[in-house]
Amino acid sequence: MNRPNIDLLQGTLDVLILKTLVPGAMHGWGIAQRIQQVSQDVLRVNQGSLYPALHRLEEEGWIAAEWGSSENNRKAKFYRLTRTGQRQLEAETENWKRLAEAVGRVLQTS
Amino acid sequence: MKPLAKAWRALRAPFARQSRETDLEAEVRHHIELETEANVRRGLPPEEARRAALVSFGGLDQAKEDCRESWAGRFLEVLGQDVRYGLRGLRRSPGFTAAVVLTLGLGIGANTAVFSLVNGVLLKPLPYARGEQLVVVRQPDAHAGQPNLGFSPLEVKDYRSMARTLDGFVEYHSMDFTLLGDGDPRRVRAGVVSWNFFDVLEVRPVLGRAFRSDDEREGADAVLILSHEYWRELGGDASIVGRRFEMNDRVHTVVGVLPSIPQYPQENDVYMPATACPFRARLVDNRRGRLLSAFGRVAPGFSVAQAQADMDGVSQRLRVSYPDAFAREAQPHVQLSPLKEDLVQGARPLFLVLLATVALVLLIACANVANLTLARLLERSRELAIRSALGAGRARLLRQLLTESTIVALAGGVLGLVLAFAARGLLTTFAARLTPRAGEVQIDGPVLLFTLVTSVLTGILAGALPGLPGRERIAETLVTESGRSTGDRRKHRMRTGLVAWQLALSFVLLIGASLTLRSFQNLRQVDAGFHCERVLSARVNLNFTTYGDAEHRIDADKVAAFNRSMEDQIRQRAGVVTVGAAWTFPLNNQFRNDGTFTIEGRGEITGPPPKGTFIGVSPSYFESLGVPVLRGRAFEDRDRKGGEAAVIVNERLARRHWKSEDPIGRRISTDGGRTWRTIVGVVGDVRQQALDAEYTDTVYLPFREFPGYAYTLFVRTLDDPAHAAEAVRAAGRRSDPQAAITDVRTLADIRSETLSSPRLMSVLLGMFALLALVITAAGLSGLIAYAVSQRTQEIGIRMALGADRGRIVTMVLRDGMLSVAAGLALGIAASLALSRLVSGLLFGIGANDPMCYVGSAIVLVAAAAAACFLPARRATAVSPMTALRAQA
Repeated sequence: MNRPNIDLLQGTLDVLILKTLVPGAMHGWGIAQRIQQVSQDVLRVNQGSLYPALHRLEEEGWIAAEWGSSENNRKAKFYRLTRTGQRQLEAETENWKRLAEAVGRVLQTS
Repeated sequence: MKPLAKAWRALRAPFARQSRETDLEAEVRHHIELETEANVRRGLPPEEARRAALVSFGGLDQAKEDCRESWAGRFLEVLGQDVRYGLRGLRRSPGFTAAVVLTLGLGIGANTAVFSLVNGVLLKPLPYARGEQLVVVRQPDAHAGQPNLGFSPLEVKDYRSMARTLDGFVEYHSMDFTLLGDGDPRRVRAGVVSWNFFDVLEVRPVLGRAFRSDDEREGADAVLILSHEYWRELGGDASIVGRRFEMNDRVHTVVGVLPSIPQYPQENDVYMPATACPFRARLVDNRRGRLLSAFGRVAPGFSVAQAQADMDGVSQRLRVSYPDAFAREAQPHVQLSPLKEDLVQGARPLFLVLLATVALVLLIACANVANLTLARLLERSRELAIRSALGAGRARLLRQLLTESTIVALAGGVLGLVLAFAARGLLTTFAARLTPRAGEVQIDGPVLLFTLVTSVLTGILAGALPGLPGRERIAETLVTESGRSTGDRRKHRMRTGLVAWQLALSFVLLIGASLTLRSFQNLRQVDAGFHCERVLSARVNLNFTTYGDAEHRIDADKVAAFNRSMEDQIRQRAGVVTVGAAWTFPLNNQFRNDGTFTIEGRGEITGPPPKGTFIGVSPSYFESLGVPVLRGRAFEDRDRKGGEAAVIVNERLARRHWKSEDPIGRRISTDGGRTWRTIVGVVGDVRQQALDAEYTDTVYLPFREFPGYAYTLFVRTLDDPAHAAEAVRAAGRRSDPQAAITDVRTLADIRSETLSSPRLMSVLLGMFALLALVITAAGLSGLIAYAVSQRTQEIGIRMALGADRGRIVTMVLRDGMLSVAAGLALGIAASLALSRLVSGLLFGIGANDPMCYVGSAIVLVAAAAAACFLPARRATAVSPMTALRAQA
């Protein structure tokens, strides 16, 4: 587990955020933690780019935000996936698979 | 749906702004708190935990700014900020702002003014409905080299009934008549037109009605339509319809008043139906009586080319049906050209040259502003660095700079509009000499739009050219208090390059101005063949009903009696040397009376027959104009009907047909051999049409034998000829109260008048070149001054080490002179490539005239030297001690 963290590729953060929100609404810090956990600490979300990404996705209409109360009753901004966000996620996932396969094939040929 | 929602959010954004900011703040705070707590759980002490949370978040302000970037309506908001910030910055440096606004104002003003000309004359559609369908129809004769023979009334009738592709085919000619019934007899220019002339142009009278077909009926009451301008002159009475005037011994009733539109083919005072013209009436059965011009409207669905083909067919059929309609050798055909082309062709080349000139001036101004911006940018590096540290991205900084330059450019645009507005009277006068459309030159919607677009583009260009200082440069500024870096050097090279381009463009403008000026001087020095000093001319217009017989044939004896009375009375005034008369005055480009003649004993000539301009002149015409009689004699009183049928030719004609032989006593015929006229004299050549036109072969006929209802009197005086004006008018009133004396002016005025368009053109180009030169010099001066200020310390050291003033000056000037040399080389190359374009506008000078190049180069270098001199002198005035302390 001593491998260094991988900086996220441009644009991949968006799709990770969308995927993370599939089970239900979450606040920003939660999303960052979740991505880190699920990727087993390989992917580390740069918090400085997390919030601009969230605001961008909200502006696109893929996620929606509302204020709620978090675990210990503090006000927090929760993000949830919208219907168009769901569709966007499917499209992006498909793209990602194709890209990964293609890159994999190129790397496997000697 | 989605774009709508986006637009709605953008519009709402400015109002939602406050809550969004609070949200963002709360959201980020919440994140830091959670992260801090997590760190505490990992075992960090609280203070350390919070610090670690902040560190892991990275640049807090940067992240917030990035969030704001993605908000809808952000663009407007940033623009608002940039504008406020820009205005504040500009207020802080009023000198810079004033210099830039003035420079751009002059540049944009010049462009706005010239564009208003181009728009009003070349771009705007004609003020007639569907004006693009209107055509001018001509009948040129290739054999005689005549551009237009005109049409006879019978031909107009035939073309009208046979042309399938024309919706209307109307005739036009113009006559001067005497109008009685409103105080003094007035001379009016009457447009004589087909009854449906205004219907074809689709012009509706503002008062009364247009002509109807029964106005053209035989024996119909005589009716008039007034032009808007003439109606105004008569007092602008709204109840003028129905008013009666007497003209040509008939009562004419006003039936309508035209709207205020440019009249084509020329400005007329009144219009009357074709059949009401007594002169045309004599020609109605004469197929060769070609007095009329013709216009048509191409029918919908046909192109001008199709109409041309149709008319060619009609023309051929008519030639077969009426073989005697033309002279045997004539090669007539019919030619259609779009009316708009016809109206603007005189103005187009000059306007385009002006437009190119002002565009160059604006480019030069733009380069200057870019240069000033660049210099200011270097002073502002610190401010930029701070803003960048506070989270402004490079794009945002650049946008800020562009906003600022656009603000000043817009201010320049407003100033430009004011200048253009102030100059519009001058421009309209200028345009009026070139095209009948001058009245349409206005500062209207399209011109305002042009100014706006030009201002914005200028602002962006001037703001984007300097670009931003390099990334490292910005970072460096924060660390070091001052100091120059490589970025400085690059920017300095860029400034030098900009100045070189300015110098090059200025040189091109100087060449253009000097060529035009020299061409104008050549024109002014042209020997017109007559002496115009101390000669007064006046147009005499006789009422033809008094001086003609029943068939309106002119009575030579009556005219002679009138003219003798005139001349005798004028001669009684002290100081009058002689009085002459002729059909026309010299340099009259409206006068065309070309014809052919035959030379006795030359037999059948192959090729075109001899041609000449025919002018009837009185015995003392040559003396009053100072035209030398080279051989033989001038006309005498005995040269009248029943005399020996004398004729005088000019030198050019004599040389062409008789080489070195003596033409005196030879005979020519101007009526196909029915009468032979003996050449009694040869006179010097006179430019009858224009200063820049070649001499034409001229045949002078005795005025006594061939008088005219309208002719020009020439009065040579010993004193100022203008003083004789009253004597001429009084003589006219006493000789015949119905005779109208008009256009009383000196020959010098006539000559000066024909020069006014080239004079104004050279003044305008000269002004623009001067403006460009001043702007460029200011740019060069600024460049050197800046270089000096940057090197004060170095100069101090050099002087302390014993460098003499000369060396310092040389050092400082090296940059300046380098850009002058580069600019001159570029300018010469560009001028050589471009001058071809103006060669058609020049008179008596080649487009690559070496004198102009040398002169312009001297002017440019002198201006550049002067521009460098001041800052260079300041450099040598540096005291070593102050310099060393300056930036220690």
